[in-house]
Amino acid sequence: MRWWQIRKRDAELEREIESDLELEEEELRERGIPINEASYAAKRAFGNRGLIREQTHEAWGIAPLERLFQDIRFAFRQLVRNKRFSAICVLALALGIGAETTIYSVIHAVLIDPYPYRGAMRMVHIHLYDKDPAPYDLALDSAQFAQIVKSPVLDGAIAEDVYTMGLTDSELPEQLQVGRMSQNAFDYFGVPALLGREFSPSDGAHVAVLSYHFWMLHFAGRPDVIGRSLQLDRQEFEIIGILPQRFAWTGSDVYVPLPKSSDPRRPANVYARIHAGATDAEVEQALTPMLNVFAKETPANFPQHFKVHLVHINEIAIGRFQGFLVILFLSVTALLALACVNVAILLLARGETRRAEIGMRKVLGASASRIARGLLTEALLLSLAGGGLGILFALGGVRLVHLLIQPLPSILPSEASIALNLPVLLFSVGIASLTGVLCGVWPALRLCRTELRQAVDGGTHKLAGRSGTRRIHTALLAAQVALTILLLAGSGATVRKLEQLLHASLGYQPRNLASVNLVLSDGAHNNWADRIHYYEQIRDAIARDPDVISAAIGHLPPLIIDSTPVSIPGLKVGSGQVIAQQVSPEYFSTLGIPLLRGRVWTSVETAHAVRLALVNEAMRHRYWPNSNPIGQALVLNNGVANGNAWRFVAPGDDQHFQVIGVVADTPNKGLGEIAYPAVYIPYSMMPFDGFDVTIRTRSDPAGLLRAIKGDVHSVEADQAVGDLVTAQDLLEGDSLGRERFASHLFTTFALLGFAFAVGGIYSVQSYLVAQRTRELGVRIALGASRRHIVKEVTRTSFIAVSLGSGIGVGSNIALGQIFAHWTNSNVRDPWMLLGVIGILFCGAVAASVAPALEATSLDPANALRAE
Amino acid sequence: MSTMTKQQQKANLLQGTLDMLVLRTLLYGPAHGHQIGKHIQRTTNDFLQMQHGSLYPALHRLERRGWVTSKWETAPDRNREFKYYRLTEAGRKQLVVEESEWKRMAEAVARVMWPVTE
Repeated sequence: MRWWQIRKRDAELEREIESDLELEEEELRERGIPINEASYAAKRAFGNRGLIREQTHEAWGIAPLERLFQDIRFAFRQLVRNKRFSAICVLALALGIGAETTIYSVIHAVLIDPYPYRGAMRMVHIHLYDKDPAPYDLALDSAQFAQIVKSPVLDGAIAEDVYTMGLTDSELPEQLQVGRMSQNAFDYFGVPALLGREFSPSDGAHVAVLSYHFWMLHFAGRPDVIGRSLQLDRQEFEIIGILPQRFAWTGSDVYVPLPKSSDPRRPANVYARIHAGATDAEVEQALTPMLNVFAKETPANFPQHFKVHLVHINEIAIGRFQGFLVILFLSVTALLALACVNVAILLLARGETRRAEIGMRKVLGASASRIARGLLTEALLLSLAGGGLGILFALGGVRLVHLLIQPLPSILPSEASIALNLPVLLFSVGIASLTGVLCGVWPALRLCRTELRQAVDGGTHKLAGRSGTRRIHTALLAAQVALTILLLAGSGATVRKLEQLLHASLGYQPRNLASVNLVLSDGAHNNWADRIHYYEQIRDAIARDPDVISAAIGHLPPLIIDSTPVSIPGLKVGSGQVIAQQVSPEYFSTLGIPLLRGRVWTSVETAHAVRLALVNEAMRHRYWPNSNPIGQALVLNNGVANGNAWRFVAPGDDQHFQVIGVVADTPNKGLGEIAYPAVYIPYSMMPFDGFDVTIRTRSDPAGLLRAIKGDVHSVEADQAVGDLVTAQDLLEGDSLGRERFASHLFTTFALLGFAFAVGGIYSVQSYLVAQRTRELGVRIALGASRRHIVKEVTRTSFIAVSLGSGIGVGSNIALGQIFAHWTNSNVRDPWMLLGVIGILFCGAVAASVAPALEATSLDPANALRAE
Repeated sequence: MSTMTKQQQKANLLQGTLDMLVLRTLLYGPAHGHQIGKHIQRTTNDFLQMQHGSLYPALHRLERRGWVTSKWETAPDRNREFKYYRLTEAGRKQLVVEESEWKRMAEAVARVMWPVTE
């Protein structure tokens, strides 16, 4: 029955009743009763019209629906009438839901489903470990690869070689990262092309598939790019397809087929996928015999004694971030809990206030179930409003996260696509609604046990309010305070960590410092002497640029390089690990690293590959704490110089060096960590096929790339130059950026939690004062002092805050270990904890001030009259 | 409060029988709500006082079940319209069914109340 039909029927019923009523009146008048009395008598005889209508509606079968609409309308009116209360509740719920859903969506995208590849969770790196903590990635030649692909233990394998090639069809060649993959690679990944197709074993060697970001950057996303030609290192490749955005394997720009080669000095890295249900240990064991055979064939690609260890691709990518994300999840769950607790406090307080109203309704004839239904509707309406707003917040939150992590590409794997996670959204909304509903209906449930008169009286018999409620309020407040302390402590810890990093001594000058990367085209400058001569030419050309103060060959710190074994023959305890860096002599002056003792080698010595070395302060302190290191000998890498197709070894290099100086420390194990012992040797010892040129500029280096490309072009036209990276960017992107992100996030959560806690305290205080107005009036009339009243009023919150602080600090210390393990920051610092508690107390006091003042300024006469 | 419950009890007992009485009344011919109530009252010598609160729901219930139909007509002796109810064919059949049910119920009750001594 549609609602307009109902209205028609209703009007008819009215008409029917009206006409019958008139008849009744007439009859009574005929019997002799005077006119005005007759109408009243008729009405009396007729009965309650409203009731008749209701019962007829009941017969129509639409009564439940009518009651629902009535409940909704009434609930809506109630909520609108108490705007402040409704707004706070809805906002609290929405914030909790929005934050939780956003963070969980991020976690889901990063930890649980980051990769679009088929069987991504079973894809592994095959690592070979010997005594070094740093592993070798498995590298095989094409014959060996052909064998391992057929292994029954693996569910597919690919060989890959990441090359840097120059895009030589433009005037100033651009440096590209090219992933050269075995022909079966795209079949292995199982990710179809976005446009065109991917290469397969039937294609030739000169086809290319573009990555999405390169296609967007270089071709502006034009679809007509398929079939065009791409010139890499002066070879033509036909573009046959574009990959979708989520395919970002090794982050290469272009993917081409790996040319088969049986040159043992040109191996390719091998990655594989294990079968579903196989354990890592089983596969490691099964592969070991085959790998041992390979090791005998090509000993140069394997460490002497090794063990196989499989590392899943997501383990490498997530690494240290896993802990951070988990902590984030826990904090945001705490925030949701806080929001729910806050809403619970507010609803309970309001429920108590409405006991008189509910009593009145009962007297007027409402059944208990009807009252409960009404309260339920109100609570549901509130929860749904909060949920709806929360969904909007979540959508906005996801977008915000995208914006925030754009300048920090290293924080999450590039394949992860962060989107709103529907199950979590529903879960959050469900939790919030449940809280709202439970706390909204609670007063009705309790009323079923209350005597009617007591409810209407508003508690005359118990002046001081019900103790049961007070205990609940205290407990809820205490819980809020404890959670807030945890959040504040977490935030405090990350902020302090950030401070530490910001003020960490760098040991070099990062202002106006930048570097560019250059890689030789395949086969260029193919002998040692030619190569180092060429490098020096390039460095010199850049150094001559008018905007450049000085240029050197070497990497910008902070960096993390694998360590190399070192032994010092002249010392008894003379072996360990060092970080060996290959640099040109201008490196120290360009970076501003002070020379503490001795001298740096000259460029002539570099050209002749004289085996001289500089050590850093940390190394000097470790090995020569009380003597002079200058003149001492040291041996790197057990005297073995490992060259290959790309890495040339200086003639006569036996890795024995003589120390000629000591320089200051720089962060070489990551920012904020203690410097590791390091050795600097001339780059001519083992020139790679690519190098970094570090430059100190007169002004901001950001705009200088073009000029530098021009300088390089003047030496060799075909030399591709990579992007310019400033020292500041490196600092930000590496550690500072991450820590800043973390501390911003935690601080936001902490502030929100703090707001919730303070809000909770304020609500409870106000409610208590309102509830106990009569009692306080009596006390004041009997002569209580102001201080006494304030003490009375604040007693509950005082107990709650103290209890909560105790629990909060206790759990902080207990969880401190876990927190430190995951985020490298310290939550147990006593000063910080004291500071946190101090902030909380100030907040609690501020929240209690207004209600307390109100209590003390009560006029006893008014208070006793109030009802 | 106690009077309300007694009246409620009375109403519940009569709801099923009320339908039957209304159908029987309409067997004589079409009538509107007021007339039906008055007829029952008169015939039972004021024993069954028709609460309008039960009559209208009953009528609408019967209409929903298709046992009566209604129409707004002008009364023969007045210049005003009333809603007249009529018995349908299905209603006639239902009346027969309910009548036999009632008779059986009355017999059963009588046998318990006033057992025939063998």
